[in-house]
Amino acid sequence: MKLFYTLVLFLSFFGLTSCIEIIDDISLKNDGSGTLKYTINLSSSKVKINSILALDSLDGKKVPSIPEMEERIASFKKKLSAKTGISNVTIESNFTDYIFKLQCDFTNVLALQNALKDVIEEESKEKNIPELDHNWLSWDGSKMTRSIPEITVKKTKDLKTEDIELMKQGNYTSITRFERPVEKFDNTAAVLSKNKMAVMIKTNPYALTQNSNILENIIYLSPIKN
Amino acid sequence: MILRLQMKLFPVIAFVLFGGFVLAQKSEELIPKDAVTVFSINNITLLQKVSLDDLVKYEFMEEVQQELFDGSTSGKTIKESGIDFDQKLNVFYGRGETHEVQGFTFGIKDKKLLFEVFDDFEQVKSPYPGTEFYTSYFNNLIISGNSALLIRVEPNMNTVDEMTDSIWYARGNENPWYSEDSMDEGIESDEEVLEEEIYEEMDDESKPGSGYDFPSASENPNEKNYYELRDSVQIVLQNQFLTGLCEELLIKKMNLVKFDARFAEQLTHTSEGVFYLDNSRNVQEARGLWYFQTMFPTLYKDMQEVYTGNVLLGDLLLNETSVEFKMEARYGEALGSIYQKMNDSKFDKNILKYINENNTAYFTYNVNMREAYEQAYKVIMPILTDERNPQMSANVLTIELLNEFVNKDALFGTYKGSMFGSFNGVKKIKTTKIEFIYDENTFEYYEKEVDAEEDMPIFTLGFSTERSDIPEKVLKHLARLTSRFQNMGDYWVYEDAILEAAPLYMISKNGMFIFTNDEDLAKNHSNGYGGDALSAKEAKKAKKSGFMYGQIDWAKAIEGFPRDFFTDQENELIDAMRGKTGKMELTTSKTSKDKTSFDLVYNFGGNYDNSGKYLLDLLNSIYVISK
Repeated sequence: MKLFYTLVLFLSFFGLTSCIEIIDDISLKNDGSGTLKYTINLSSSKVKINSILALDSLDGKKVPSIPEMEERIASFKKKLSAKTGISNVTIESNFTDYIFKLQCDFTNVLALQNALKDVIEEESKEKNIPELDHNWLSWDGSKMTRSIPEITVKKTKDLKTEDIELMKQGNYTSITRFERPVEKFDNTAAVLSKNKMAVMIKTNPYALTQNSNILENIIYLSPIKN
Repeated sequence: MILRLQMKLFPVIAFVLFGGFVLAQKSEELIPKDAVTVFSINNITLLQKVSLDDLVKYEFMEEVQQELFDGSTSGKTIKESGIDFDQKLNVFYGRGETHEVQGFTFGIKDKKLLFEVFDDFEQVKSPYPGTEFYTSYFNNLIISGNSALLIRVEPNMNTVDEMTDSIWYARGNENPWYSEDSMDEGIESDEEVLEEEIYEEMDDESKPGSGYDFPSASENPNEKNYYELRDSVQIVLQNQFLTGLCEELLIKKMNLVKFDARFAEQLTHTSEGVFYLDNSRNVQEARGLWYFQTMFPTLYKDMQEVYTGNVLLGDLLLNETSVEFKMEARYGEALGSIYQKMNDSKFDKNILKYINENNTAYFTYNVNMREAYEQAYKVIMPILTDERNPQMSANVLTIELLNEFVNKDALFGTYKGSMFGSFNGVKKIKTTKIEFIYDENTFEYYEKEVDAEEDMPIFTLGFSTERSDIPEKVLKHLARLTSRFQNMGDYWVYEDAILEAAPLYMISKNGMFIFTNDEDLAKNHSNGYGGDALSAKEAKKAKKSGFMYGQIDWAKAIEGFPRDFFTDQENELIDAMRGKTGKMELTTSKTSKDKTSFDLVYNFGGNYDNSGKYLLDLLNSIYVISK
């Protein structure tokens, strides 16, 4: 979830003017390790992005070139790979359709959160971002708790009306997968997959930034069968 | 940085502050002959329409008042500035080989009130009889009788650098940029530049004292380092150029009115404002020509002669529901002969078929490239041939050989010189996007390409051709190279050509070759819009105009601007312009051997008290953008 902050940084390059789709997909094993997949899909705004990329600057901000973005992505990947408890980091960048996919394995959710916090702070010019102190994932072996960092709400206050409209048109999909069936969950907006092993919540990025509780969910798993 | 900002703001402030006044006396006699561009404003008619009370309500006026009416004059308005509204206000700018001048001249009604406004100016002894001299930083206020000249003279940096280098080396110094000792102090890093800018922007009180890290002086404190020397040279040159200008203006009584009879004649017009631009002097001083000037001095001089007499003269007329800008481009015989041949062209009616009557903006351009080429060859080649320079001789030979060998019938048959362009607003265009499809059983997902639509401005650009076979040859070749180029029968398409997402269509029919991103035009109207093309009345206007005609439907254009492509400030301007409907139309006269006339008329609607106020609305919008 903290990757939403990275997304905010990424979107700042595009003045938050693009219609976006985000998929935040965590697969958690019984032992607490797992895989994070984070996908940003800007393909529905590729004309706009190409036109922005053709400019030197927009709204007083320098527009990065594709090599600069590639460099930044590579730097993010390198830093994340070096963090304790993180392995197999891959980032796929599709600069034709503007789809970016991050995937990494983690030994436990705490390691994942700490790694992302560290990398975000390293990449950001701001240090000691108080909003990053908050843990948004916890796992006790039978119960998973998810929420969203407040920083996204703070950032949204600066948005222009047109940007807000575009964010409302976007999609944010959060999926949590497990190795055993889900028994119940608290968030009424969530849906359970037919195989009962995954929980999904769909919203739009704007709603997410306005209500940090929208993705908050406590997911209870059925006991492990011996 | 502040200095640069002031230089930039100087004419703007001048225009804004006094843009509403003038007519009668002698303020124009204080315009130096070095002025290349002058905008002279006739006060009375405009003032009848715009009250000063309204004027000072504008956002830009608040800023101007802060600029000139500082604390000691708070609460005052321009009404109390001592300006004589019966004289013309003349805003001028000129860049010469060694220095540039900018400023404005105006009449004075009450000197006491004037100096309550210009309270930063201090009087110095005037060396010129019958004048008073005041200075404030780099600005100089000269009063002669009931007129005043506010002027700033700046030496060009090339001149300053050249002289500084000369003195620097003559004193036995090393290269200031590369010598080991001076490397650190000679080259300003970005950080140093930033520090200087921050320092300049600080309030006086906030500026650090003597401990601030300026470029260090040399070992001998009595000897200037490179920057100090350059500053000194700049000041000396500034004074020298100002003295030269004042002697010419105040002793020899040579001003622009006497120097150029065309300007003097222009000043007799009773329009709200007159405009003067001496293009021949602009060409002479064009910075980009230094290489040409240095390497081929004779040629440069001869080319200057071609431009002799090249001047733009304009009149600005404000009416209740329109603003009209009439401009006359005058030129000498040599250039006139080329322009005249260029305009000896028959209007191609086929062009009009491809302009939709519901367009947002369009232009037509009609010149005879072949005739213009032949005439330019006749005029320019003798000048080039006279240049005794091996490099130029080689160039002349190349041009002569090309002239002999190139098939000019094919070249000018392909592009005759008639063209048009149109903007048809913003339309949805077909693109593709990637969607993620979810499996309900597992919530696993996969990518699928689906059709999508995005907004895109729709443009069409076309030209007349007698040799459509030549562009067709190019297209066929390109189609062999990439499958993105396809012949669709009535038109060609180049997939993903625009922003790597949208197709570009090419139509080669009816003696026209057209580029467009308008799918509807390519697929459904490759032979023209028929009944949906420009009305006969509109078409007649375009045909009747000289070499160019243009029209913009302002309301449609404003509504069609894609907001996402503009900054917040630009959007503020666009918002300010929304609801201000109207059409802007550009017509030109037939070109004669000595002049071409242009007429730009903006007919507007909306709720306006008068056109002067409308103009101020525009000015205020521009101010909001630039602040």
